[in-house]
Amino acid sequence: MGALIALTVANIRSFIRDRAAIFWTLAFPILFVVLFGSIFSGNGPDSFQVGWVDRDGTPAAGGLRQAFAGVGLFELTDGEQEASLQQMRDGDLDAVIVVPAGLGEAIASGVSSGEPIALAVYTDPSQQSQSTTIQQVVGQVVSTTNQTLSGRPPLLGVDIQALQTSDIGAAAYFVPSILGMALMQLGIFAAIPLVEQREKSILKRLGATPLRRWTLVGSNIVMRLLIALVQSVLIIGIGAVLFDVTIVGSLLLVAGFIILGSVTFISIGYVIASFAKTEESANALTSIVQFPLMFLSGIFFPIEFMPDFLRPVATLLPLTYLGDALRQVMVGGAPFAPLAVDALVLGGWLVGSFLISARFFRWQ
Amino acid sequence: MTGARDAAEIVIEAQDLRKRYINIQAVDGVSFQVQRGEILGMLGPNGAGKTTTVEMLEGLRKPDSGQALVLGIDAARQPERLKQRIGVQLQSAALYPNLTVRELIDLFGAFYSRRRPTAELIEALDLGERRDAQTKVLSGGQRQRLSVALALVNEPELIFLDEPTTGMDPQARRSLWDLVTSLRERGTTVLLTTHYMEEAEHLCDRVAIMDHGRILELGTVKELVERRFQELSVRFDAVPGLDDQHLRALPGVSRVMHEDGEVALYTQTVAETIGGLLAATRDLGQEPGNLAVRRATLEDVFLELTGRALRD
Repeated sequence: MGALIALTVANIRSFIRDRAAIFWTLAFPILFVVLFGSIFSGNGPDSFQVGWVDRDGTPAAGGLRQAFAGVGLFELTDGEQEASLQQMRDGDLDAVIVVPAGLGEAIASGVSSGEPIALAVYTDPSQQSQSTTIQQVVGQVVSTTNQTLSGRPPLLGVDIQALQTSDIGAAAYFVPSILGMALMQLGIFAAIPLVEQREKSILKRLGATPLRRWTLVGSNIVMRLLIALVQSVLIIGIGAVLFDVTIVGSLLLVAGFIILGSVTFISIGYVIASFAKTEESANALTSIVQFPLMFLSGIFFPIEFMPDFLRPVATLLPLTYLGDALRQVMVGGAPFAPLAVDALVLGGWLVGSFLISARFFRWQ
Repeated sequence: MTGARDAAEIVIEAQDLRKRYINIQAVDGVSFQVQRGEILGMLGPNGAGKTTTVEMLEGLRKPDSGQALVLGIDAARQPERLKQRIGVQLQSAALYPNLTVRELIDLFGAFYSRRRPTAELIEALDLGERRDAQTKVLSGGQRQRLSVALALVNEPELIFLDEPTTGMDPQARRSLWDLVTSLRERGTTVLLTTHYMEEAEHLCDRVAIMDHGRILELGTVKELVERRFQELSVRFDAVPGLDDQHLRALPGVSRVMHEDGEVALYTQTVAETIGGLLAATRDLGQEPGNLAVRRATLEDVFLELTGRALRD
C-alpha cells in the first residue's frame, strides 16, 4: 500500500511537471468547451416554435390559441398530436401544447367538476432555460385565462410532460461530449509515459525492486482516475458557470460512466503501449487512434449528421458510447443506444483491451 | 568487523548458467562463487554476456538452465524475496526525469521494508547541493551517483553495480571507490562490472574476465597477471629492418607482440634483452624510440584473452 501511494504521488508529480501532458489533458478540453460553447450557444432564439394540437375544436379553444399567439414569444404551428410530438422529437418544435377535448363544453357550462381541465404541455427538460421559459409563459396565459373566466375553482390546469428532443442545446451537447473526449485522451495518453519508461529502462529498474507489477499498473490507473476527476470537475464546472449546463441525471451514474470510460481508455492506452516500440511511435499511434475517435464518435456533431458510410464506423467506436452515455446521464440527451448498451460496449472494449495488453505488453 | 566464519560464507553461487536469445548464446555455462564481503569485478567486451549474467543473479531474467543461488535464495524461483535484500544499479536505466533527487530516493525507499534515511544517502553520495534538482538536469556523474544511492536505499547485503563510474570525473570516481570500500567494511558484498582497468585493480578483490558468454579467467588481479605473464615487457617503437625473426632471437625473449606500431618483447632477463636489442639496432644504424620496461597489467591479460582492448 505504501508503495502504491508513493508511486501514485510520484506519477502525479511527474505529470504535473510535464507541460505537454497538462496542456493536452486539462487546457485543451477546457479550451474546446469554452470555444465551442461560445460559438454555438450564441443568443437564444427570440421566439419558440410551439406545436398546437386542438382536440377540442370549439371557439373556446380558438380563443385560447389567440391568447397564446398574442404573447408573441410563441410561434404556433397547428397539427395532429402524434405528428407534432414527432416534429418535436426531431427538433423542429421546442414544445407542444395539447388542448384536451371537452374544454369548450366546460367553459360554456361554466361549471367545473372540481378537477381543472389540464392543457398537456410537452417540453424538453434537457434544455433547461428554454423549458422553464415556456412553462412560465404557459402558466401565465393559463392563469390570465382563468381570471377572465372567473370560474371560482380554476377551470384550466397545466400538465407538464417531458419529451426528449434530439435538439439539445449546443452547449449541453458539447459539455458531456468534450468530457468524454478528454477522458479518452487521458486514457490513451497513458501509453506515452509507459513507453518512455520502458525505453529508458525505468520499468526495468523498477523491476529490480520488490515492487509488484500490479502495484505499478494500479498506481497508473489511480493517478489517471484522479486526473479524470479534476478534468470532470473543471469541464462540468465551466459548463455550469458559462453555459448553464447542469447535470439533470443521477450523479452516481455520471461518476460511474466517468470511471468506466477512463478505465476503458487507459486499457486502450496499454494496448498502444504494447505495440509501440519507441516514444515516437507511441506518439504517432496515439494520434492515429485519437483523431478518428474524436471526429467519428459524435463528439462535435450528432452521429445522425454523419454520412451513411461512416455511421457503421461510429457504431463500433467506444467513444461513441461514452459520449452518448454522458450526454444521457448529464443533460438528458437523446439516446443513441440505451445506457445499458453503452455500458456493455465500453465494458467489452475494456475487457478486450485488457486481454490484448496482458498478452502483448512487454516490460522491457 | 565480522568474523572469519562469515568471511567464508558464499553469497553468490552461479552454477552452469546458460541463457540463449533468439540466435545468440548470451551466457554459455557460467559458474563462480562470491564470498560475503568480497568485491568481484566482471570485465569483458560489450556483448560478452556480463549484463545477462548479472541480470540472472538479480532475478531479472530466468536462466535456460543452471541455477543462481543468491543469499541462499534461488533467484529464478523467488525473485521478490531476493529483491528485498539486494541493491541494483543498472547502467542504462534512466530515472523519472521530472522528479527531484530527494523525491526519487524517497520513492525507491517506499518499495522496501528496510531502508536507509534519504538524508544519509544524499550525504554519502555527495548529492546535497542537488537535493531538490530534477533528475533531468543532473550531470552524467551526478546521475550515476544518484543511481548508486538508489541501489543502497534498502541497506542491501549484496549490491550489483553495472559500470558505476562511467561518466564520472576522476575525483568523483575516487570518492565512489571509497564508498564501495566502506561498504565492504560493513560486510556488504559487491559485484560490479567495469570498463576501467584501474577500477578493477584498485577496487576488486577478484576479477572475472568474460567473453562469448563464458568466464575465461577468474582470480585476483595479481594471479591473473602472473598466470599469463611471468615476464616483463620491453617496449619500443617498431624499428624498420628489425623483423620478428630477429627479435625472437634476442637473448631471453619468449614472445613478441605488436600493438599500434609498438613492439613488446616479453622476457625474464630484462638487462640481457635490452643489451641485445641495443646492439641489434646499432648495427642497423638506429635506436629503439620510446624504450620502456613494463610489468604486464590486467589490460595485457584482457587483450591477450579477448583480442580487444578493455575500453572498446
